[in-house]
Amino acid sequence: MTGFLDYVPGSSVLHRLDPLTKLVLSLGICVAAFVSDDLIFLLVLIALDILLGVLGGVFQKALRLLSGLLKLSVFLFLLQVLFVRSGTVLFELGILKITLDGLFVGARLVLRLTAATLPLQLLLSVTQLSDLSGVLVQRLFVPYKYAFTLTTAIRFIPVFAAEMSGIIEAQTARGVEFDTKNPVKKIGLILPLCVPLLISSVGKIHESAAAAELRGFTLRTRESQSKRYVFVPADYAFLIFTVLLIAAGILF
Amino acid sequence: MIEIHGLSFRYADADRDALQNIELTVPDGDFLGIIGPSGAGKTTLVHSICGLVPHRRGGDFYGSVTVDGMDTVETELTDLARVVGTVLQDVDSQMVAASVDDELRFGLENFGVPKDEIEPRMAEALGAAGISDLRGRVIGSLSGGQKQRVAIAAILALRPKILVLDEPTGELDPAVSEQIFRILREMNERYGMTVVVVEQKIMLLSSYAKRLAVLNGGRLEIAGPVREVLKESGRLEEIGVNCPRVVTLSRHIRDLTGGKIAATVEEAEALVREVLR
Ligand SMILES: Nc1ncnc2c1ncn2[C@@H]1O[C@H](COP(=O)(O)OP(=O)(O)OP(=O)(O)O)[C@@H](O)[C@H]1O
Ligand SMILES: [Mg+2]
Repeated sequence: MTGFLDYVPGSSVLHRLDPLTKLVLSLGICVAAFVSDDLIFLLVLIALDILLGVLGGVFQKALRLLSGLLKLSVFLFLLQVLFVRSGTVLFELGILKITLDGLFVGARLVLRLTAATLPLQLLLSVTQLSDLSGVLVQRLFVPYKYAFTLTTAIRFIPVFAAEMSGIIEAQTARGVEFDTKNPVKKIGLILPLCVPLLISSVGKIHESAAAAELRGFTLRTRESQSKRYVFVPADYAFLIFTVLLIAAGILF
Repeated sequence: MIEIHGLSFRYADADRDALQNIELTVPDGDFLGIIGPSGAGKTTLVHSICGLVPHRRGGDFYGSVTVDGMDTVETELTDLARVVGTVLQDVDSQMVAASVDDELRFGLENFGVPKDEIEPRMAEALGAAGISDLRGRVIGSLSGGQKQRVAIAAILALRPKILVLDEPTGELDPAVSEQIFRILREMNERYGMTVVVVEQKIMLLSSYAKRLAVLNGGRLEIAGPVREVLKESGRLEEIGVNCPRVVTLSRHIRDLTGGKIAATVEEAEALVREVLR
């Protein structure tokens, strides 16, 4: 099984698009999600994310992320609902007060978060990291060093996650109970583990930089990559679509 | 050829030398195994050969290391890398790409290998590492042994004169470890590549390497042809390098056969037959 950020090999329309188009499209959806305040429009964006996931053959992965986001969403939603105190009061009990504004703000936050997270996952699912750094370097003139840093950070997320669960497992074996339901207690248990994780991460990143250098990293220039990227008509279509999407986001 | 003279190295924040007065020559075409307990300085020695020490590891460096005529202190890391291909101890952190193909392409592109040569070189290296079937795979989905072979293939594609590996079989099971060493032997015998490999399993090392170097506490304790080094089984045991059972057995056999030593199970078997006859 591949991780939720891993590339899924395939030959769908999305896989064949120019990496730059995919980058613009996914960032465009994020922008649209942030400039629009309309709940219906946000729902349309989520539907679009899912549709694109189906197009790219990574629907299952999108669902997994969605279900992962659900827990966080419920938490954020409740937080907003409880803290927003203005607007028409729907329900009141002691200091507890639920307002229409609260529901609206909560829903908007959750939908926006979902609409903006899915396209980023989609981008990584249908684009190889080398293509991503490739277009950044070739097309957008980003120095290779920075493009490499970005893709390395993305690649290391699952490695660190594995390391973290390794540490947690080791601590569990020593009798620390991580499966506590109390979130405050859980954070109290996990926080101290971040220090060893940070130390080992810095070590790994150093090692990684050394390994890259031993394979000629410093010699790499914009011309080094053998692969070249070209736009096809589908790319222009998707780019125009992205512009329209952002415009719609501003309108609604 | 690798020539190491009077090499001492102390890491910037350490209170003792990681390497002490090392004298070692590795001729072209050699297959040298480095062995020693944890903290003996094996990684530090390997890093001194590829140039990470002292170029990327701060500390006090004394003596000299010459690789293919280049003094490692005076030569740029990248220029050393054209001659010495290095596989580091931690396989995960030396992966630079997300897919097998990109992992191999990285070094080839960096060193400016002509574009029409990249494809055949990739195919050749993957073939040599026995992983042609891993083409197009995502690295995150590979097993430890597969990743290790991808790391080796990525170096083989660069066709280094000298191949240096730091515990390439560290977390692998015996069968996969054998496969890795077979690749190394093939490179050494067929292409005359000089191989320097750090390995904890003395049994495995003795059946593939031509010579052994035993490190302990930063000192080079014993160095020489495998057979000679294995003769010193008393000292090896003292250092804490696990002596293969066959060596302990053959020590007894030696007394019965008048000085004959077995380095592999097959040889031991032959000697036992001889004794029993
Ligand atoms: N970056 C560093 N900074 C300070 N001291 C270090 C550093 N790396 C290694 N050392 C120390 O130098 C000595 C030799 O370490 P080295 O990593 O070369 O041993 P090793 O034989 O490779 O061990 P292992 O089998 O555990 O990989 C050890 O005492 C170690 O603590
Ligand atoms: Mg080591």
